[in-house]
Order: sequence, then C-alpha cells, then structure tokens
Amino acid sequence: MKVQPRGTDGSLLASLPWTTGALVISLVPHVPYLPIWITTAFIACAVWRYVIEKRRRMLPSRWIRGGLALVCFLGVFGTYSSISGVGPGSALLAIMAALKLLETRRRRDQFVLLFISIFLVMSSLLREQYLWSLPYLIGGILIILTAWLRMSAGESETAKQSFSTSGRLLLYAAPMAIAMWVFFPRLASPFWAVPIDTSRGTSGLSDSMSPGDISSLSMSDALAFRVQFDAEIPESRDLYWRGLVMTRFNGRTWTGSEPRVGTPIEDQIEFRGEAVSYEVTLEPTRQQWIFALDMPREVSLARVFMGQQQQLVNVTPIEQRIAYRVVSHTDYIVQADLQAVYRDWYTSIPDDGNQRATELAWQMRADAGSDTAYINAVLAKFHEEEYFYTLQPPALGSNPVDRFLFDTRQGFCEHYASAFAFMMRSAGIPSRVVLGYQGGEVNPMGGHLIVRQSDAHAWTEVWLERYGWYRVDPTAAVAPERIEYGVQAATLDGIGQTWGFTAAPQFLQDLTMTWDALNAKWNEWILGYGPDTQNSFMEWLGMDNPNWRKMLLTLVGSVIAIILIISGVMMLRYRPPAKDGASILYNKFIRKTGLQRRVGETEQEFALRAMTDSKLAHRIVTSVTIAYLDARYGIADDDALTKLRTAVAAIP
Amino acid sequence: MQRGNTLETLPSSVDAQRSAVERAKKSLARIILGKDEQITLALSCLLAQGHLLIEDLPGLGKTMLAQSLARTLGLSFRRIQFTSDLLPADIIGVSIFRQDSGEFEFQPGPVFSQLILADEVNRATPKAQSALLEAMEEYQVSVDGDTRSLPEPFFVVATQNPGDQIGTFPLPESQLDRFLMRVAMGYPDEVSERELIAGEDRRLMLDDIEAVTGPEILIELQKSARKQRVSDPLIDYVQALVRHTRESADIEIGLSPRGAQALIAAARARSFIENHSGVYPDDIQAVFTSVAGHRLKPAGSTRFRSPSELCQHVLDSVAIP
Repeated sequence: MKVQPRGTDGSLLASLPWTTGALVISLVPHVPYLPIWITTAFIACAVWRYVIEKRRRMLPSRWIRGGLALVCFLGVFGTYSSISGVGPGSALLAIMAALKLLETRRRRDQFVLLFISIFLVMSSLLREQYLWSLPYLIGGILIILTAWLRMSAGESETAKQSFSTSGRLLLYAAPMAIAMWVFFPRLASPFWAVPIDTSRGTSGLSDSMSPGDISSLSMSDALAFRVQFDAEIPESRDLYWRGLVMTRFNGRTWTGSEPRVGTPIEDQIEFRGEAVSYEVTLEPTRQQWIFALDMPREVSLARVFMGQQQQLVNVTPIEQRIAYRVVSHTDYIVQADLQAVYRDWYTSIPDDGNQRATELAWQMRADAGSDTAYINAVLAKFHEEEYFYTLQPPALGSNPVDRFLFDTRQGFCEHYASAFAFMMRSAGIPSRVVLGYQGGEVNPMGGHLIVRQSDAHAWTEVWLERYGWYRVDPTAAVAPERIEYGVQAATLDGIGQTWGFTAAPQFLQDLTMTWDALNAKWNEWILGYGPDTQNSFMEWLGMDNPNWRKMLLTLVGSVIAIILIISGVMMLRYRPPAKDGASILYNKFIRKTGLQRRVGETEQEFALRAMTDSKLAHRIVTSVTIAYLDARYGIADDDALTKLRTAVAAIP
Repeated sequence: MQRGNTLETLPSSVDAQRSAVERAKKSLARIILGKDEQITLALSCLLAQGHLLIEDLPGLGKTMLAQSLARTLGLSFRRIQFTSDLLPADIIGVSIFRQDSGEFEFQPGPVFSQLILADEVNRATPKAQSALLEAMEEYQVSVDGDTRSLPEPFFVVATQNPGDQIGTFPLPESQLDRFLMRVAMGYPDEVSERELIAGEDRRLMLDDIEAVTGPEILIELQKSARKQRVSDPLIDYVQALVRHTRESADIEIGLSPRGAQALIAAARARSFIENHSGVYPDDIQAVFTSVAGHRLKPAGSTRFRSPSELCQHVLDSVAIP
C-alpha cells in the first residue's frame, strides 16, 4: 500500500472552514441526543485539523488515527451497548466524520465529508419530523451545497455567487421532490419503517402513583394530544380524558392491574344524552393507553380494546403519532351492578398505617348517615378547611395519607385523589383513582383543543348503588379553577403568585397558538400523508380508482414534464456570451465600418482590414479595438467598458 | 555563462519584467533574421514551461535558434547530437568505479543542464529517445536506483528533420504530446536571406550575445505569464475550437483536455510577451498551429496536406464569440 504524505501546505485553508462548517451544521440536531463526549471530540478534531493546516504541521500518523478510531468505536459501543439503531448509528457517523477530518488532505476527501454531512442532516429526520425540521433541512442542504461549490469555485467566484447557485439548484430540484412526495405510492404495510430511538418517549402519566414521593411537578408544555371536535367543544368541566385506572393501594403507592383484554365491558355501560364525536391526534407515548373523553362508545382504531375499568388499551405501545376518531357520551352509567367480589377488591386497604385517616373516615361516615352525605362531607372538608393546591408540595414520608390530611395540607391532584379514595375505601365505599388529562387549551386559529402534559390529572371514581361508578374530583373542591381554567390558572391564583408566575403577554400567546395550528396542519397533511390520505388526494385530483401503478406512471410522467419545463426555461433564459456589453458595442463598430467580420478573424486582423477598406480613421479603429480587447478579455471592469463606450461614441 | 550584469537583481516590477522580455526578443531577432513569429513562439513555449520541438529541413537555423535562446536567457546549455548508436547513459550519465576510493561515482550526463538541445532527435533509437522524454516528463532521472532532480528551469529544445526517412525513428504521437509546441522554421524571406549571405557569420555573432535574463528571472517571468487573465468569452472560444477538432470530418483524433490546457498555457505566455491586457483570441490563434499541429491526427481522407493547413482551416471555421 502506498503511504500517503502527511505534510500540509495550507492549500486547504480556504476550503476547510466550509467543510467543517457544513459538518457542524449537520451535527446540530443530533447534539441534544448525543453523549457530550462525542460533541467535544468532534469540536476538538475540527480545531486540531485547522491548526495543523494553519501551522503547516503534519497530519497524525496512521497508527494514531487507527487508535483513535478504535477508541471512539469502543466509546460508542460502551455508551449505547450497541452499534445499530438511530442513536449509536448517528453517534458513530458523527465521530467518524470528525476523525475523517484528520486524514483530509485533498479536495476529494472533503467531498467525502460533505457526503457524510448530507447524510447526517437527513438522518436527523429519524429522530424528529417537526415543522421546523423543514427550514433546517433546506438551510442545511443549502449550506452544504454552497460548501461543495466553494471546493470547485474559481478565484473570481464569491461566496455569495456560490450561495445563489446552490439556491437555484435547490429550486430546480423542489418541483421534482414535491412530485415524488405526492405521487410515490404509499403502502399500507411498508417494507421498512423508521426505527424509533429507544431513549425517547415521555408521557405525563406513569403506571403507578405515589403521592408524596414527588415533591414537585414540572409544568411541561409538551404536547400530549390535539382534539378536533366535530361540533362545539364541551364545557371545560366535562373534559375528563380517561387514561388508566389505579385499583390497588399499598399504603404508599397506587397501582393499576395489568391492562387485560377481557369480557366485553361495553355491555355494562348505559349511554345517555347526546353523543360527542371528535378526532384525537395522539403524540407517541410508548405506552398502550388511548385517551378519550369519559365515556367512549366507539373508537376508530382496530386494535384497541376496553379494559376492565373502562380504560382504552392499544394492543401495542404507541410508537408513532396516530390519529383516531372517538364517539363519547359525557352522560353515562357504568356498572350499576357490582358483584360482591369486586366490592371487596375496590374497598381493600392495607391493615396497618394511615391510622388517623382511617379513624377519621369511620367517624365521618357514622356522622353522615349515608354514603352520599359522607362523600359531600369529605369534599366539604377539603373545601372549607385549610387545604391548598400547589405544584410544590412537601414530601410526605410513610403514612402519606395521614401526613397529608392532618399536617401538610398541601398538594396537587394526586394527593387529593389518593386521600379521597383512601377515605372512601376506609368507609367501605368502592373507589378507584383514574389518571388522564383534564381540560385543554382551545386554539382559536385551528379551532382545536390542545392538551399538554401539564394537563395531566388524577381524579377518583366511587361506586354507588344505582349510579354505578360515579366521578368525583376532589381537586375541584380545593381548587375549582384548576378544573374550570386549567393548571396555570390554579397555580397563578394563590401560591403560584409568590413563586413569580405571571401570565404571558397576549401577542406571545397568539404566536404560540398560530405555531400550534401550523403544527397541527403539518401533522395532518405532511406527516400524516399515508395510504388513505394519498388515495383520497388522488381521487380529488381526478384519478379513478387510484392504485400504485397509476401513481407510479403519474410520477414518472410528471418528473419528465418537470425536467422538460425546467430545461425549456433554462434554454429560453440562455443568452449566448455575444450579448455582453462589450460585444454589443463592438458589433456596433463593425456595422459602422461597413465590413463583415470573417469567421475566425481576430480583432487585430479585422482592425487592419478596417484601416485599409473602411472610411474610418486609423486612430478610431485602433482605439476601439484596444478598448474592446481590454473590456472583453482584459480586466473587464466597468472602467474598461466606459472607455469602450466612449471610443465607440467617437465614431462619426 | 551569465555575462550580462544589468539584471543582477530580480525584476520585481512589471516594467523590469517587460524590458527583460523586450530585450530578449530584440537580441534573438538580431541573430535569427525575419523569424519574429518563431522567436515569439519559442519564447512563449519556454515561458509556459514547455518543451519545444523544432522541425524543418537542415540549414534553416534550427540549431541556431536553440543556441541563441540558451545564450539570451542565460541558461546552462548542452547539446546532444542524437545518432543511431546513442545510449541512454550518454544522455543521463553513468556511475564510474573509482579505484582509488573504491566507490562508484556518478558522472552526470548532458541532461543535467538547464537547456538541452537534442539535435535530430529522430535519429536515435526509441530507447535513447525515451530516456530523454522521461526526463522531460518527470523533471528527474533515475540512475542506479537513485533519483536525481534536474536543474531548474529545465527545457528541452529538440530538432527533427522531417525529410529523412531512412534510418530514423519518428517520435510516436504519445511522445510528441510531451512537447508543448512544434515549430517549423521555414525559408527566410528575400531581404533576410540576403543579409544572411552577405552579413556577419551568425556563428561568430553567437559569442557576442549578452544574457538578458538568468534562471531566477526566467522563473519570475514564468510566474507572471501564468497570471495572465483568461476571460470567460475566451474559454468559450477555446472550447469551440476544441469541439471543432473533435467533430470535424477532417480530423480523426481531436484535441484532448490536456491539449486545451496546453493551448491556454501557451497563449498566456504569448499574451504576456505581447504585453496584452489579457489573453486575446489573437494569442490563441498565434499559438494554435504550433500547439495543436502535432496533437491532431488528420483523417485519412483529408484534403489538407500539412498539419498547419489543417490548423488554419480549423481557425477559419470557428467564429470568435
């Protein structure tokens, strides 16, 4: 093998910043996901390489490079314990691109780096496909293309010219990209799918609930789902988005039974009142819960079943954004009959612990006389006594219910729901805790409802004769505004103020709403462009019975048409070089001589002929010819052109 | 060798470079009478860092041109007379065993000079020819496993007699390509010929030539020549010419991209010598025949008798944009 020279001569000084810049830009979307050492090593390699070039040093030897490559490979493997998948794949790509810089000696190596940066830019789509990904993609490719053009640019070409050339290239490519996107047949069962990064996937809901363990709840603005109602949006107090149900309490923690597909539960629900139908676009949760308004009657998803506690469960975790239609009734009766075995189950509490709360429950139940009166009494206790709604409650330790009810008296929905359900069970009333979302924000631009992670909520259901499972939200007794106006209002009005929360200015809210509406459309039309949408779009375009054959034919046809149109435009816009300013003036001079310029006759030869055969003065012929040669082949600046114009104007 | 004392310092200014070029031209024109075009071409060839092949009948001043070039430019000069029994070692040099020191010592051959006149290059065997041609290409020679660099600048001016057919080994096309230019001398005009016959003996005049440049100055001039501006319309013109040579029915093998590069390089040097503000179409035309003539392969059916006629026809068929 031929050993490559390792010396540098500074010839890459001009182009290295472009290549490195392109690489850095392609790395940006990956940085939040990459381990910090990869970003650091990347920057270090870039700086190292630049210093080598600047000081005309030697590139690191093959042994050093090989050693570094091995170390980095092992580092990636150690970080991810794998080398396949989006995370380790992009980490490996990024770090190897940085190492490639260390053996970049020629233009050809830089082209390889630019290829890699294009790949990195595109692989950011494997992580996220937000609306802002589009401007990033376009900008990134634009800059990489510019860097590419800079590699082969002549001395006279400015960076601005290269930039506009790459912009033009993208513009020419855009119609073809759009045609391919629209017409390329989408298959119901694709041959391949984007692997989801396993490090991702967050939800506002966890499978268990331990009030008191968490001493503060973050107000995550992340989107949970969007809802588009067919008719009017129901009242905020009816917007209980049912998620999962907790039935077991061990004194500290509420847990649900495993979601189980059992006997049809729908029979036990009696739907009343008017139906509400709507479409939910759910962000990936990596959980199986499907959210719907209490109480769902129909869901458009095929692989969704209703669990024992009326929760909707998908067969597999939600890995990708999905949209589904639901019909719900906000007025309903569930399980008017409850078997004794279930009553026992729903009233079971641990024998020891939380003694004060148990005793209080017995006493209050005895005082109240009936179950309903008892429920009202407990709610009234929350409402009238000094209980506070806060997102930063103190920790509770063991016997959390006791401590919360009698000592701290501060908490958010989980605390109240847990304490309330415990009080119910102590008094022998079947009860359970429901986790889901409550409320949501109406987007006036899109007319849809935005439900965020900060809208996550916990409430309780108690079982009463004839009423079945009846929803009781103890948080509403403490902070009614939480239910009427949302979390933000509840925290602002009270303790929140001391923490310095202030409402965002109006224009900022408008901006957020517009952005959200745009994102909703983006999800609906761009990311949600699947087999169904494509088929209906094709029909709308006038295609009978769309199938993949017809779409492919249309695709090929439209690509050919686009190429023809673009080349036609380019041909029409092409101006032969003879049309430049200098040659127009020179042609004027030729006409004035009354002679024809012969094919292949140089300016000097023509000048000699003009001196003998035309009436023009020798002086004029000479001055025009010299000025023309200078303006066309010499410095060719405006100055030279002005001189030529003056010389031609002097022709009588 | 360098007897001139006027240009001890490098001509950094444009004016100094100009005057060096002008004096070289004048000095050459005093010896080679009536051959201004060939002189300019030969100078262009050297300023473009190319090797020169002079091809014509005996007695037309080929050797004279080469010798006066070397003298004028102040370069170390060696002449190699190519004969059929010439060996590569006669060109490159040999290692001789010294009995007193017990070691081999390299005796550099004539190729280790700045300007080589390879006289009647087609008389030697291909083996000897290729020894020279390799030196021209690589600017170094390998002897006994050692690589030795040739002096800088390094030029080869070869002469060739097209009339001789018996006992010659014509250079193949691929090797002709190593010469930037092939120039024909041609008969002198009547006035010049009269002066040649009646005037002073040119051979004696050679000794009186003063060197107007030296190797360093020549390298500076080459750098300046390379900077001559080449505009877009001119590249269009060169491309049109090259395309024509490839598409013409009279030409079997047209100009290669390397040929086009050679054309631009030679025209740049010529434009520098003529003190043009950039490379003009006129510069292209002036060097076209000598640069393209030996690179084109005429078609068998062509009606043109010589490469120069063919080249002139190409120039007359392509419009200057």
